[in-house]
Amino acid sequence: MSTSCGNPAVEEDALMMRKAKFDRSKQCVKCKERQGNIVIRHAVYCKPCFFPLIVARFRKTLEPVVNPKPDGPRKKGLKASGSLVIGFSGGVGSTVLLDLVAKSYFHAPSGDEENAKPRGGSAHPRNLTGKDSSIWKGIPAVCYIELSGVVPGSMDKIEEARKIVEKYSVQEGSFSFDFIPVRIEDAFNEAWWAELEGVDLSTAARSLGIDIADEFIPLSNLPSSSTATSTPLEALQNYLSSLPTQTAKESAIQTLTRMLLLYTAASRNASHLLLGTSLTTLSINLISGISQGSGFSVNEEAYEEWTHQPRSLGAESGGVPSKVRIVRPLRDVGSKECGFWMWWCHLNAVGKKRLASGKQSIVSLARDFIMGLEQDFPSTVSTIARTCAKVTPKQKSDTTCILCERPAQHDAQEWKARISIRSYCDEAFKDSGHPLPPHLNEFPQGKEIAHNGSSLLATKLCYACHTTFTSRSSRGNMTGKGGDHSISNVIPLPTWTLTTVESEILASRKLDRKDMRKQIQDFILDE
Amino acid sequence: MPPKPCALCLKSRAMIKRPKTGQQICRDCFYYVFETEVHNTITEAKLFKPGDKVAIGASGGKDSTVLAYVMKTLNERYQYGLELFLLSIDEGITGYRDDSLETVKRNQQQYDMPLKILSYDELYGWTMDAIVSRIGRKNNCTFCGVFRRQALDRGAAMLNVDHIVTGHNADDIAETVLMNIMRGDIARLGRCTSICTEGEDTIRRSKPFKYAYEKEIVMYAYFKKLDYFSTECIYSPDAYRGHARAFLKDLEAARPSAIIDIIHSGEAFEVKEEIKATQKVQQTCQRCGYMSSNTLCKACTLLEGLERGMANAGITDRGTKQLLQVQQSEVTAPENLRTIPFFNKPFAASGSVDSPIIIESTS
Repeated sequence: MSTSCGNPAVEEDALMMRKAKFDRSKQCVKCKERQGNIVIRHAVYCKPCFFPLIVARFRKTLEPVVNPKPDGPRKKGLKASGSLVIGFSGGVGSTVLLDLVAKSYFHAPSGDEENAKPRGGSAHPRNLTGKDSSIWKGIPAVCYIELSGVVPGSMDKIEEARKIVEKYSVQEGSFSFDFIPVRIEDAFNEAWWAELEGVDLSTAARSLGIDIADEFIPLSNLPSSSTATSTPLEALQNYLSSLPTQTAKESAIQTLTRMLLLYTAASRNASHLLLGTSLTTLSINLISGISQGSGFSVNEEAYEEWTHQPRSLGAESGGVPSKVRIVRPLRDVGSKECGFWMWWCHLNAVGKKRLASGKQSIVSLARDFIMGLEQDFPSTVSTIARTCAKVTPKQKSDTTCILCERPAQHDAQEWKARISIRSYCDEAFKDSGHPLPPHLNEFPQGKEIAHNGSSLLATKLCYACHTTFTSRSSRGNMTGKGGDHSISNVIPLPTWTLTTVESEILASRKLDRKDMRKQIQDFILDE
Repeated sequence: MPPKPCALCLKSRAMIKRPKTGQQICRDCFYYVFETEVHNTITEAKLFKPGDKVAIGASGGKDSTVLAYVMKTLNERYQYGLELFLLSIDEGITGYRDDSLETVKRNQQQYDMPLKILSYDELYGWTMDAIVSRIGRKNNCTFCGVFRRQALDRGAAMLNVDHIVTGHNADDIAETVLMNIMRGDIARLGRCTSICTEGEDTIRRSKPFKYAYEKEIVMYAYFKKLDYFSTECIYSPDAYRGHARAFLKDLEAARPSAIIDIIHSGEAFEVKEEIKATQKVQQTCQRCGYMSSNTLCKACTLLEGLERGMANAGITDRGTKQLLQVQQSEVTAPENLRTIPFFNKPFAASGSVDSPIIIESTS
């Protein structure tokens, strides 16, 4: 080891050659004049060049999907078919998203001297701001989902979030975002659902839940103790605590949050729901989703179109399904860049506690893994997103999952049954004509599955949601109350799923008189 | 607490907790469902037809030992009508492969199957020991992996078999899915979950253990008291793969179904048509006749690099470019460069196999 400086006290580490974090020089690669302030995937940018770079990436992702039909090569003005809703979690990504949307479409320019003169003049449609901005219909809204009901020891942050959103109000332009706080427990709140969708759940539907101790997930009546007095928060806590793994719990919270945002967007006739998913978060979601079996909906992680089916009786006759586009305009911007945007724009995030699950959950394992990669191998994070953008589902979807309302495969259950035999009493196993196990004289006579085929929800769920309910941990009795799989474990369902169940299953069951008669035949006297 | 009955037969006492399903089952039911699931995999993918000659890629490790045992069991139980062979590749790693080959030889006697051993030395003129002494441990797994793939095909051609089965298990496949996503290898991502791969002029190759958990394979070998060799390769494992494997193990610990869930994800998607169009077309190596994506296949490039003392050829773009420059500057290639014997298409003609079948005798 050479000590050319002649100082024997120098630390060994100080002489180690560190790999350069950037390619060529410290000069900004864009203006080639100023000294750089930030390294983005090995390229150096100065602070003034950083802002237009992020804005360009944001617009490049969002604007091609604003108009209902793509423009083709010639770019026309932006005109959405509905209103705008921004999903705001209070985290770094959504805070930056809110700032970018406000500055780009509803506000005066950011105050950045270089951008003070808008290209094409202030009358150009692209530069219309505040209330003049006519891209989206109506007043844009920011929807905040409060998770304090599910994160132990966390505080209610609705007011903090409201203050952040209100900062974007413009007095003179009389512009402000509508702030819509929603609590995660509203997923089980009939009053919230009735207000949003104009649907009153029937008494029969209210008492329904699903038995997740059974692989087929049959509809079942909730224990009377949990229906009579249960508040939405209690129902939510019952739902989450009964799920078999920590992974299931975290993934369920993500699904409920997404659905609450979507139904809120639909209630405001929104054509676009924007989420602050950064490139880093997208990669986390992709790896986490693939690890939970949702490879079929890998494209939906980056961009999706959700069809809202009006549920109320009045709407049934005349209600037209509407589409909400879920756009993640920051999906090309890493979390580090988001952090820098916040720091340089003096933005504050709503400080929130996360569910501390460490190595127990796939969601947090994926997060730790990708965050580690981002520090050491920044290109890998974008490679994950780029690779996943190059794949497409093998088969066309013919169903929609009744829980997450994403496209589902119809043969997921058969696949599961084929690759892992879970019972000798299954129809599929019996039909395959396998020889007897050498140690048995006959196959066991297990309890017959007495479910009505139409009331089994397994076939109406996507692979990942079914796995969320049924996949167990390797450690001890992790199935919550249903540690013993032979004991039923009936949990409540979110309101949108109940409504679907009510309209699709309960209604069809009404017609099935043969089945009704079968159930009561022992009590009918001969005429 | 009274003993729990088996969740499957509801009769015997549960002895194990099945890693794949979490069910507590008895030992006999475990053997039965493990074997039946492999049978389901084989029949669902229509892997074989009666009379097929099938070579089992045998390393002496747990996966291939259990595979040989299960293939023999299923072949008898369900009357597949297969002619089974063991095919081993001797990479030439002293203290590792020579010991594991002893295990394969014992398996040959125990299962009464013909065995063919083909060595790197015989095929390429280099053992892995010699390669490592030349290039060091860095990248040695690349040489070994590329050489093994070709060696298996050539060994199978020598045995004149229709099909090679390998012991790749569910963990291996899940890990490959993750790894290909992380390194953006879209071509491999598209095909890594296929149970069976077959090029135009290569032998069908399949993975009957595609849905079998590594833990269950170990469990099966342990309870059946199968004779296998369990030492890790003495030359360091592939670091990148190790990274993905550690993550996968964490995922499995958090939720054991993760392995099968990743495979399900991998099976659910495919490469978009417009991306496929940009991928390289497969061709034949001009020198050895093996499938290749360039004029010279990877094995020939690596071998020539070794022979010329340019170990980076085929490893880095720069190394490959340097080799190309040297090749272009020469009128004719030096005569003392060792090359791989030409690969004849299997079954092109009965007498066209590389060499007569030499099978180790069952003594």
